[in-house]
Amino acid sequence: MQAETILTDALRPLSDIQIEQTREFIDSLEQGSQTYWDMVEIGDELSRDLHITPELVILYADAVEDFNPWYEAWKMNTWHIKGESPFGGAIVPPVLVSHFVLSVQFDHTKPFAIGSIHTFHDSEILAPIPVGATVRIATRATDKYEKRGRRYVRHEVNVTDVENGTHYFRETRDILSL
Amino acid sequence: MSRTDVLNSLLVTRDTPVGYKLQSIKKKAVIQLMGSRLWGRFNPNHWDPVYAATTGLSAPIQTGEMSSAYLAEMCVNHFGAQMFSNARMVCKYVASTLANEVIVTHGVVREKTPKGNGFRFTVDIWSENEAGEKKTVGWVEVDVGV
Repeated sequence: MQAETILTDALRPLSDIQIEQTREFIDSLEQGSQTYWDMVEIGDELSRDLHITPELVILYADAVEDFNPWYEAWKMNTWHIKGESPFGGAIVPPVLVSHFVLSVQFDHTKPFAIGSIHTFHDSEILAPIPVGATVRIATRATDKYEKRGRRYVRHEVNVTDVENGTHYFRETRDILSL
Repeated sequence: MSRTDVLNSLLVTRDTPVGYKLQSIKKKAVIQLMGSRLWGRFNPNHWDPVYAATTGLSAPIQTGEMSSAYLAEMCVNHFGAQMFSNARMVCKYVASTLANEVIVTHGVVREKTPKGNGFRFTVDIWSENEAGEKKTVGWVEVDVGV
């Protein structure tokens, strides 16, 4: 128990109650989750719509410390603004939608397959996405394969505008499963 | 010099030669950012040392998409608006980025193929830690002046 407590706060300061809350949260993530390999069958097709709000873009960009003003349709104190970019208003960072594909590749109503790792993506950035757009992320499982004793699941992805059908983004990606 | 002037001075043009080196981006894999709700909190491999150890990792690892975002930032600095239309970015995560590592991005123009009034540039991109160990490798293709 002592060793676990030390490890939980090994990389950041945490009080006893924070450590307890952390372990409780992780226990809840593990409950009922399957491996990614078991959750996906070749041919599975799934689709979800994502409203890319100004705040969502800020959350994404802040965590990777990308402060390009082209992505800003929200500023502290002013809040919602039109923003400016070479395309008019604010636009979405080029690979933002790739990050959200994970939420579409498996049945998201089931517990997330913790322990899986993203290993590869081949992404085509076809057109700029305006901040505020609602996009449809559509995925199709195209392969499950084993390589050097590890299990991978491959998906093909298309991202389009829900309102006008603009094809924004296409991707092939692999996830390493437990 | 304004931010716009600085970025304009970096832009790849039709005349940019093969072998041109992109200016690096440097970031630290900060555990608090790795475990933020939008990025990795749903998967404790990305922020909890105890869980990461149970899956064989020596420390929590960044989501691969964070590395891709760093590389994309470098490419936007050099290709500007052209990075958002008919571009391609391929990344393979060849090694895990561990918490607290400092990551540096790199890019070198490998090829420029005539296309329309300009060229389609192919740039080898990668990120590595301060020891020079590669973490992500790949390439981008971007139309310039087409």
